[in-house]
Amino acid sequence: MAHSLSLRLLYLGLMCGKGLVFAQGSELFSQASDANKGPHLTGCRSSEQVTFRCWWSSGTFQNLSEPGALRIFYQTKALSSDWYECPDYTQTVKNECYFNKTFTRIWTSYCIQLRSVPQNTTYDEACFTVENIVYPDPPVGLNWTLLNVSRSGLHFDVLVRWTPPPSADVKTGWMSLVYQLQYRVKNNTYWEMQELESGTQQSIYGLHTDKEYEVRVRCKMSAFNNFGEFSDSVFLQVAQIPSKESTFPMALVLSFILIGVVILLIFIVISQQQRLMVIFLPPIPAPKIKGIDPELLKNGKLDQLDSLLSSHDMYKPDFYHEDPWVEFIQLDIDDPADKKNSDTQHLLGLSHSGSSHNLNLKNDDDSGRASCYDPEIPDPEDLASLLHNHSEQGEHQHSLVSRSSSANPDFQQESEVVETPIQTQPSWVNMDFYAQVSDFTPAGEVMLSPGQLNTSPEKKKKEEENEKKIQFQLVSDGAYTSETTARQFSADVPSSPGPEQEYQAFPTQGVEGNLWNGDYLVSVNDSQTPYLLLEPPPAPVLPPISDYTVAEPPSKSSFIAAYGLSAQPR
Amino acid sequence: MNTVKVLQVCVCVLILGQFLVSGAVPLDCKDDAGSRCASISQEKLLDRVIQHAELIYRVSEECCTLFEDMFVPYPLHVLINQAGNTCHSKHIPIPTSKSEIQQISDSWLLHSVLFLVQSWMEPLLYLQTTLDRYDDAPNALLSKTKWVSDKLLSLEQGVVVLIRKMLDEGIMASSTIFDHTQSPYDGQFPEVLESVIRDYHLLTCFKKDTHKMETFLKLLKCRQSNKLSCLPQ
Repeated sequence: MAHSLSLRLLYLGLMCGKGLVFAQGSELFSQASDANKGPHLTGCRSSEQVTFRCWWSSGTFQNLSEPGALRIFYQTKALSSDWYECPDYTQTVKNECYFNKTFTRIWTSYCIQLRSVPQNTTYDEACFTVENIVYPDPPVGLNWTLLNVSRSGLHFDVLVRWTPPPSADVKTGWMSLVYQLQYRVKNNTYWEMQELESGTQQSIYGLHTDKEYEVRVRCKMSAFNNFGEFSDSVFLQVAQIPSKESTFPMALVLSFILIGVVILLIFIVISQQQRLMVIFLPPIPAPKIKGIDPELLKNGKLDQLDSLLSSHDMYKPDFYHEDPWVEFIQLDIDDPADKKNSDTQHLLGLSHSGSSHNLNLKNDDDSGRASCYDPEIPDPEDLASLLHNHSEQGEHQHSLVSRSSSANPDFQQESEVVETPIQTQPSWVNMDFYAQVSDFTPAGEVMLSPGQLNTSPEKKKKEEENEKKIQFQLVSDGAYTSETTARQFSADVPSSPGPEQEYQAFPTQGVEGNLWNGDYLVSVNDSQTPYLLLEPPPAPVLPPISDYTVAEPPSKSSFIAAYGLSAQPR
Repeated sequence: MNTVKVLQVCVCVLILGQFLVSGAVPLDCKDDAGSRCASISQEKLLDRVIQHAELIYRVSEECCTLFEDMFVPYPLHVLINQAGNTCHSKHIPIPTSKSEIQQISDSWLLHSVLFLVQSWMEPLLYLQTTLDRYDDAPNALLSKTKWVSDKLLSLEQGVVVLIRKMLDEGIMASSTIFDHTQSPYDGQFPEVLESVIRDYHLLTCFKKDTHKMETFLKLLKCRQSNKLSCLPQ
C-alpha cells in the first residue's frame, strides 16, 4: 500500500512536469472533439498491418486549417533518434498522413508529432506500435443459408458466411482475425452479439419466422482489442409456413389410428362374443335339458313336454339296463324297523341284490345341477328307478324324477338328467315319463301308476300324454310342487297312488328333510324354475297322474317315514 | 569500439562453432533411432509449435493488461510507448516489415524465433520474482507469468526440433548464450516506480515479441504448406 501511495504522488509530479505529453488519456488519441481544443492528432490506424495513416485536426485554430500549416513528424527510436516528416500527405483526404509499407515497421514504436513549423510548436504527440493500431477492414461477402425450420414453423436457423477483408493477409498467416457477428430484428435498437469466431461462418439459432432480421459482422486481430468497422448488413427473413400443413397429417393419422383401434375392439368383441358374454353376463343357470327349451318347461304344453322329455336322449336306456333299480335306493340299514318290514325287506333285498351301491344325492349348491346317482339301474322288473345322475360334470342337469319301468328295456327309457354322458339313445317315446308309485306288491315290486303291470310295468307312452296332463294338473294344484333350491334332488315324492303305479327313484343317502323335495316338476302355470321339488305331500295325488312318480310307502313304516315317503291314498 | 565488437563476434563464433562441431543435441529424445520419443510428423509439430506461440502470446497480453490495470496509471502508458524501443530484443536483427519478412528464408525465420524465445527465458524468471514483491499483485498475474515461463521452455524445445528436422542443423537448446550480454537485470531490486516502469516495459516488450514469434511461425507454416500462395505480393 505504501508503494501505491508513493506511486501516486510521483505521478502527480510527473504530470505537472511533463504537461501536455502526459495529459492524454488511456487512449492514444483524444477522441473528444472539444471545440476549445487546439490542433491535435485525431487518430492513427492501420488496416492490414503493413501501412498506416494518421489524421489530425486544426481544432479551433482556424488560421492553421489551410494545408501545410500543420505537419506531421515521426520518430522511430529503434532506428534513430531523428524526426522525419510524414512521407506522404494524402492528396485526396485532408489532414492525413500516409505511411506506406517501406516506412512501416511492425513491432516498432513510432512517435508522431503534430507541429506547426513556422511557430516551431508541437501541438500533439502520440506513440504507438503498429500492431496496436491495427483496425481490420470489415469482412465482405456476407450471405446466409437456411438451415432448418422448426416443426411448428415458428422458428428457423440460419448459417451466415462471410469472407475475410481482402486487405488483410490472412492466407499467409500475417494476420489472424477473429470475427464477431451481431444480429437484431430490423429497426430494433438492441443488437444481439455472438461469440467470437475464428472461422468464417457462424450459425444463428432460434430466429422467428415472419420477422426481418439484420445481420452484420466485424473482425479484429486475435488477442488485440481493436475491432474494425462493421460490414454491410444483410437482411434475412423466412416466411411463416402455415402450420396447418404440419398439423393436418398429424390429426389425420391420429384419427386413423383411433378408427383402427375402434374397429379392432369391435372385431374382438364380435369374435369373442360368447366368451365376453360369459364373462360379463354370466348366465343364470337354468334347468337345461338338452334339446328342451326352458321356457317350454315353464309354459309348455303337456303333450309337447311329454314328447320332448320322452324323446330326450339323455335318458339312456343303458343307464338302467343292467342294474337293478333298487340300487338307486338308499336304505337306512341302521333302522331296525325298516328291516322288519316285509316290504322293506323287499326293498332291502332289492337293494342288496344289487350292489350295495348307494345312490348319492349330491347336494350341490348349483341350482342347475342335479345330483345324480350312480348309473346303476335297479332291476327293471322292479320299481321304476330314480333318475338321478351322479355325473358331476358341471353341466346343467336336471334330476328328473322319472318313472322307471320295471322292464329292462324300459329302463333304457328311463329319464335321466339331461346331458349325462351315460345316456344312450332315447327311447322314451313309449314310456310314461312320470310314474307314480301306487303300491308295493307283495313280491316287492313297486307298482307304478298309472296303468302299469304289476310285475314288469312297462312304461308306455300311451297314457303318457294323459299322465302328463294329469301330472301337470297335479302340479298346478300345487300339492306336489315346490321350488327347488340349488340342491339336486333325486327322489320322487310319492304322490297319489294309482292302480298301477310305478315306483320312482328314491333319494339316496343323506336323507334329509328336503331330500324328497327333489322332483322336477314343471308347472304349467307356474313361473317357478323347472326345478321344482316335490315335497312329500300329505295328501296323495290323484291316481291318474301317472307321470308324476311318487314313491309311496305301502305302510307307515318308519322306513318310509324316514325317507319321507308320502302315503298314497288308496 | 571495433576491437570490442570483433572480440564479441569471435566469441560468438567460437561458441556457436563449438556447438556446431560437437553436434551436441542436449535433448533427451533421440531422433529416429531412439524409441523413447513418439514420432510426430513435421507438419504436426509445426502446428503444435504455432499453438504454443499463440497461447503464449494471448497470456502475455493478459498479463500486460492485468499489470496495467493494477499498477500503471494512465499517464504512464504513453511513457512506456515511448520507451518501447528499448526492448532488449532490438539487438537481434529481426526484420520488422512485412516485405522484409517475406523475403527472408525459412532458416532465418526459425532462428529468429529461437533467438527470441531464448532471450526471454531469464527476464521471465526475473519478472516472477519481482512481481511477488508487489503487495497487491493479483494471483492471476503471478500464475500466468509462471505458466508462460514454463511454456516458453517447451516452445523452445519444439523450435529446436523443428530446426533440426527442417534445416538439418544441430543447435543447442539453451538460453545461456544471451545472459551475459543482454541481461540488464543484475539482481538488484530497484525502487517501486522504477520497478513498475521496468516491469511494465518488460511486459509490453514480451507481448510484442511473442506476437512476433507467432507471426513468424505462421508465415513459416504457410510456406511449408503452400509455397505458391505465400510468395510476397
